[in-house]
Amino acid sequence: MESVFGLVGKDFAIVAADTSAVHSILVHKTNEDKIMLLDSHKLMGASGETGDRAQFTEYIQKNVALYQFRNGIPLTTAAAANYTRGELATALRKNPYQVNIILAGYDKEIGPSIYYIDYIASCHKLDKAAFGYGSYFALAMMDRHYRRDMTIEEAIELVDKCIIEIRSRLVVAPPNFIIKIVDKDGAREYAWRQSIKDSPVPAA
Amino acid sequence: MNCPLPQAISPKSTQFLPFYTQIRTKSSIFDCFLRLNLSLMSIFEYNGSAIVAMVGKNCFAIASDRRLGVQLQTVATDFQKIYKMHDKLFIGLAGLATDAQTLYQRLVFRLKLYQLREERDMKPETFASLVSAILYEKRFGPYFCQPVIAGLGDEDKPFICTMDSIGAKELAKDFVVAGTASESLYGACESMFKPDMEAEELFETISQALLSSVDRDCLSGWGGHVYLVTPTEVTERILKGRMD
Amino acid sequence: MMKIDLSGLEASAPIKGNTVDSRDEILGVPSFALPTTADFDGFQKAAVQMVKPAKGTTTLAFIFKDGVMVAADSRASMGGYISSQSVKKIIEINPYMLGTMAGGAADCQFWHRNLGIKCRLHELANKRRISVAGASKMLANILYSYRGMGLSVGTMIAGWDEKGPGLYYVDSEGGRLKGTRFSVGSGSPYAYGVLDSGYRFDMSVEEAAELARRSIYHATFRDGASGGVASVYHVGPNGWKKLSGDDVGELHYHYYPVEPTTVEQEMTEVAVA
Repeated sequence: MESVFGLVGKDFAIVAADTSAVHSILVHKTNEDKIMLLDSHKLMGASGETGDRAQFTEYIQKNVALYQFRNGIPLTTAAAANYTRGELATALRKNPYQVNIILAGYDKEIGPSIYYIDYIASCHKLDKAAFGYGSYFALAMMDRHYRRDMTIEEAIELVDKCIIEIRSRLVVAPPNFIIKIVDKDGAREYAWRQSIKDSPVPAA
Repeated sequence: MNCPLPQAISPKSTQFLPFYTQIRTKSSIFDCFLRLNLSLMSIFEYNGSAIVAMVGKNCFAIASDRRLGVQLQTVATDFQKIYKMHDKLFIGLAGLATDAQTLYQRLVFRLKLYQLREERDMKPETFASLVSAILYEKRFGPYFCQPVIAGLGDEDKPFICTMDSIGAKELAKDFVVAGTASESLYGACESMFKPDMEAEELFETISQALLSSVDRDCLSGWGGHVYLVTPTEVTERILKGRMD
Repeated sequence: MMKIDLSGLEASAPIKGNTVDSRDEILGVPSFALPTTADFDGFQKAAVQMVKPAKGTTTLAFIFKDGVMVAADSRASMGGYISSQSVKKIIEINPYMLGTMAGGAADCQFWHRNLGIKCRLHELANKRRISVAGASKMLANILYSYRGMGLSVGTMIAGWDEKGPGLYYVDSEGGRLKGTRFSVGSGSPYAYGVLDSGYRFDMSVEEAAELARRSIYHATFRDGASGGVASVYHVGPNGWKKLSGDDVGELHYHYYPVEPTTVEQEMTEVAVA
């Protein structure tokens, strides 16, 4: 089942997500990238209904880009999170999007941050966040091993621990995961953790 | 007044189509409400909260817990539920966190408009009516929130009040409570409250009432947040509490 | 004179209807009067709702080189209300065996006590202690015979017998699993998260106790239905011993001393600006 989680380190933030596209009992593909690059310094990890996820994250991405074109400055992570929350909250009472979002970003003055936004549009800034069935394992694991001043290597080690735990304890564990990082140099794909090879992985 | 109907029960639904052509309408938050109401937890208990306000001698205190949860899972322990509207006016929003955030943002907007137009701060009584009106606007698809309003009015007279999710005001002279720990809070406040307490004693009382109440509630707690307001100053304190 | 043990031939779930023989009450195997109702299933459903038991729990047990470590929280909740913070969820069946409690409190207490009696009788009849495998099988068989009647039990039987440490998971569906590491209850996924990453077979007793305690603590932190006291028991060759019972309220500040910083929320900043 779907698992998205993330944490804030010393001067970076990491988001990891499973990469399975599932429909009832069927796995369509195992290399679906569920972490969108929102702009140069933002990551949006999303879980939820496939259609809603794709539509909503792209809608947010394009509007964040539009804001940047119009105003010449990018939204801060906090602003993007509140904008996303607003859109979700408006949709909630009309035609809700079933998406849970972990928004990670890096701002020059503020540093790295992660925002937890669930499908009913509760928004909160966190150090470590997780959605889906994997959250039960990942949250306790992160609580136990997390430190605010982790280096990238330490954080990746922790993320790998979470992935291994999810793979070994979850009934319908997703085989593959993707890990992305955002820091002062921007948002980028960091690594894949694959136990099943699908068709060739698209380049970052 | 604009009173939009919730989508889920709107007359525009596809019920007149033959059943095989019926399009599955997406479930809105109100279906979620129906589902939750029938199951164990009501939507008011989805995130968990405990809020209490007490009146003292020329002062008041308002306190909340700090948990943000999704049913039984604790997501954060630094969530804010009491908002400062101006130096002598506070609102605590119990219930569904998303609606609390939305409602707060709308209230700030309305308060700022008022401030610009009138060039003065809003009185607590007026603010309570504003909140009530905003809540009733959504009579048929309410915000799943129970507000607690506390402020100092004319001549620094303390004012506290609570209301239900559609804006029925309930004024009180001593204390008001809201949230998933409200039953325990009633008990604690009923036995611990004394009229005309001085600020420090009021702080001690409200803190003890809050902490002992949330210790009997699965869905709230994980620390406390207290504002103590006197005519001259506002003190904000974070309480250490049980983290289970 | 040695007597042949015929107890194995008895039905494990004697349902006798409403006749109660006063002699039976003391000497006989336990029997339960059935309600006189046409709709037994419906009645059962309503009755289960009425005695809605302590569902939220975190319990765990694991085998390591020096025996079995068993730990549990102590909270009982009814819906959102915490009805007790001092429930004994680790039940001492006999000096060499422990049972843990998850699901219905009454069901667990009664059937563990019942198991204790059966184990003692076995000991008297056979002049040797029952194995953990045997005891857990006995419990599983009893629970299986009541299958579908609304019992709610999720338990681990941990002990030390002639073969060394033993650990079994038994539930009211009649399932029985042999293993080296289990966690049961609503907080179990959280406990597993900590337990799996910290577990090694060659831990010392102190390390194992700390791992168990820490796993329970992290589960109580994230799971609203778990909390109270984290009790830790160790079962070694000489039987079980309670190692600690720490109030989770204090444990948190022991693991994470308060830092004098206030976490400000973005929402507030907007209001001030």
